[in-house]
Amino acid sequence: MSDYLFEMRGIKKSFNGVPALSGIDLRVRPGECLGLCGENGAGKSTLMKVLSGVYPHGSWEGDILWQGRPLQARSVRDSEHAGIVIIHQELMLVPGLSVLENLFLGNELTRPGGRMDYEAMQVRAKALLQELQLEDVDVSLPLMHFGGGHQQLFEIAKALAKHARLLIFDEPTSSLTAKETDVLLGIIERLKRRGIACIYISHKLDEVARVCDTVSVIRDGRHVATHAAHELDENRIIALMVGREIETLYPRVPHDIGDVLLRAEHVVCHDVADPARKRVDDVSFSLRQGEILGIAGLVGAGRTELVSAIFGAYPGHSEAQLWLEGEPLRIRSPQDAIRAGLGLVPEDRKRHGIVPLMGVDQNITLATLRHYARAGRVDREHEEREAENQIGRMRVKTANAALPIALLSGGNQQKALFARMLLTRPKILILDEPTRGVDVGAKADIYRLIFELAAEGVSIILVSSELPEILGVSDRVLVMSEGRLTGNFVNAGLTQEQIMAAAIGSASTAGPANVPGRQVHEGEQPLVF
Amino acid sequence: MHAQDFRRLFVRYKILALLLALAAIWIFFHVATGGAFISARNLSNLLRQTSITGMLACGMVFVIIAGEIDLSVGSLLGLLGGVVAVLTVNLQWSSWSAVLLVLLLGLAAGLFNGFIVTRLRVPSFIVGLGGMLAFRGVLQGITHGATIAPVPADLVYLAEGYLPPWPSSLLATGAFAVLVALTLLRRRRRKAQSIPQAAAWLDVLKLAVAGAVLAIFTSMLNRYSGIPLPVLLLLALLVIFSYVASQTVLGRHIYAVGGNVEASRLSGIRVSGVKMVVFGLMGLMCAFAGIINTARLAAGSPSAGTNGELDAIAACFIGGTSMRGGAGTVHGALIGALVMASLDNGMSMMDVDNYWQLIVKGAILVIAVWVDVLSGAKRD
Repeated sequence: MSDYLFEMRGIKKSFNGVPALSGIDLRVRPGECLGLCGENGAGKSTLMKVLSGVYPHGSWEGDILWQGRPLQARSVRDSEHAGIVIIHQELMLVPGLSVLENLFLGNELTRPGGRMDYEAMQVRAKALLQELQLEDVDVSLPLMHFGGGHQQLFEIAKALAKHARLLIFDEPTSSLTAKETDVLLGIIERLKRRGIACIYISHKLDEVARVCDTVSVIRDGRHVATHAAHELDENRIIALMVGREIETLYPRVPHDIGDVLLRAEHVVCHDVADPARKRVDDVSFSLRQGEILGIAGLVGAGRTELVSAIFGAYPGHSEAQLWLEGEPLRIRSPQDAIRAGLGLVPEDRKRHGIVPLMGVDQNITLATLRHYARAGRVDREHEEREAENQIGRMRVKTANAALPIALLSGGNQQKALFARMLLTRPKILILDEPTRGVDVGAKADIYRLIFELAAEGVSIILVSSELPEILGVSDRVLVMSEGRLTGNFVNAGLTQEQIMAAAIGSASTAGPANVPGRQVHEGEQPLVF
Repeated sequence: MHAQDFRRLFVRYKILALLLALAAIWIFFHVATGGAFISARNLSNLLRQTSITGMLACGMVFVIIAGEIDLSVGSLLGLLGGVVAVLTVNLQWSSWSAVLLVLLLGLAAGLFNGFIVTRLRVPSFIVGLGGMLAFRGVLQGITHGATIAPVPADLVYLAEGYLPPWPSSLLATGAFAVLVALTLLRRRRRKAQSIPQAAAWLDVLKLAVAGAVLAIFTSMLNRYSGIPLPVLLLLALLVIFSYVASQTVLGRHIYAVGGNVEASRLSGIRVSGVKMVVFGLMGLMCAFAGIINTARLAAGSPSAGTNGELDAIAACFIGGTSMRGGAGTVHGALIGALVMASLDNGMSMMDVDNYWQLIVKGAILVIAVWVDVLSGAKRD
């Protein structure tokens, strides 16, 4: 009989033959808080989906023991029934329903006949909220009256209403203020004293250090190390998170870097739902001709918003002052951007990239259709020829050019989207997570192309969450953290640890005193206007 | 051939399944009416009935492909038809100037709907619902709730006239010659640029089928009085809309916007511009349909076009237009309109009560889309 509440042994999971998890062991005692750290894409989310029943028992290998007995959850309901509740980064609450209705959503207390027992729920809600020191909340108000901090606590109350014994927090503080974070961490301490166990996933290592008793680090789907929290400091955790050699996936081609091509100043993006909140807060940078500029940062740091704003595609309110080749540039829509010589390969291929039912060829020519038309009529032969050329150049693997693009693999879809933008002959190509969900072969093709373009004098902005990619490809690296620019490094001797430190926003390592990757100040660049 | 091959054939050429269904419907009515359904006179009549729903379906199929919907078209058709009647009967305008003004009005009304959808960002379902009520209200206001008749004879001729047999034959022959010429030209162009092309036998087969359809169609109609003018107009619209859909930048952009609006926007397509054009064309089609409807009734009626939007939308869905946008064809929608008109026509001939007609049409719509969902289920 073990004294662990929960144990995972040798968890393996793969998607279409590509391993996402290859042997993970985790253990949590009652009343213990386990910090789980790893880079983006290390396998944390997959792991959480395994243990919360999103991936049913049988779709992965290994064992999960719950109170010493095997747990074979076939659905989220099964694992919640056992007492495992996950609190997602994106809150799973219904804004229009009252707090009370949200607390018992899917778990309603009822009277015979299925009628909601509001009295019983009110009594129970009161007790739950008291535990979280939220006595003064009026549970009959719609949820949307409360801010993100409160909503997070309601999620916890909702989990407690389900008699949770193990709470999993996935980046719980990513949208909380410092004060709200303090409250949350305090509550986790109280829960621990009541014997409730937690798994705390966060990039914010100071929080991990504050609240966790034990820290496990995973990397590339493997369990790297587990130590008592007091044995580790932030630098040690970062080293464990990244610690791998850069593979020779990046066939660096020397290329000339010219004068400043694009200068962006005071880029500000306001949150779509909450305009008072800034997703990008006064970011300025410049880009030289033929330069590959990496933008690193954690998920939610505002990188996608920054490049969308420059491309005229940010959905909310944004401001930016731009100069292209010294001339002021106004971009209000993607059309303006494309006309000015910018191209964007978006992050979310499915939602923003492909037109699924259309053929590969028509997807490729979508942005440049007018080039093949006379008096509004498309010259199909011309169009097909261009598409075939691109399919050849990009090595898009497709049975024929007219095949609906939805049938292609992610890597080949991505290459087709590259081709779409290359046909616009951009001076600046913005790539937002270009290798996400792409197999290694296609990755290598994409890197090869990036270097080819840079050698032709095209400037590249590469947004990526994969640090080896950022370091393997970029000439210079910008790092963002919570909407702000926290690092601007020339990529010479730059290390993943430095980038990670700037991305986490910890002041100890991001300062200019840090020698190998020289921190560049915008002022010292000879600006050409 | 195995069942699976059949299935694949139908998924690829949905239109085949639709034509088979249409044939089944016709044969059923032919037997049920004791041989009266497939006669020159009735087919002429049937096609004329199809033309009004068909015109609306031409516009509607673009609206639906672009990922929108327009519920106001029945009322707008009625309103525009009413305006023609008021102008010609009450105000003594000449038919031609009235027709011209109404076409412009239709275009303007469509653009107005498009403006509210794209600029004011009201969902098109709501804009259509509002227009459905408001346009009907305006119609009842200008007609004072009474039928306005009789409209001038030259207007009636638009709906009741025929292209006489020998020009009809000439037209059909000419159309066939153009098809042959276009096919040859395309083959030559592709050969010159060494682009792979369809097998020669397939092109010959396609031309042979097209020729046979043209010949049967024309000779059948010629045995009565020739091609009815509204049918001629519908055929012209079929050619124009198919051309726009398959050959032009605009057409491609309509499919792209409906297929993935974000991807289109990021590719530099002016999404709101495309949608404006689509709604504008829809309004124009309402004007054509309204004019023909008034001409056919020889009167402007305050209830004209009631439920017209539902017939047009049903025609599009029966014709294989995707509910989520991004896919569909003009000829499919027109065959859908022919299915709807055949049901009306056949059941009227069988003296089926009106309530049964509604039940059958409703059931056919749901079944048609269900079959479509079944055949497409494997794609997702």
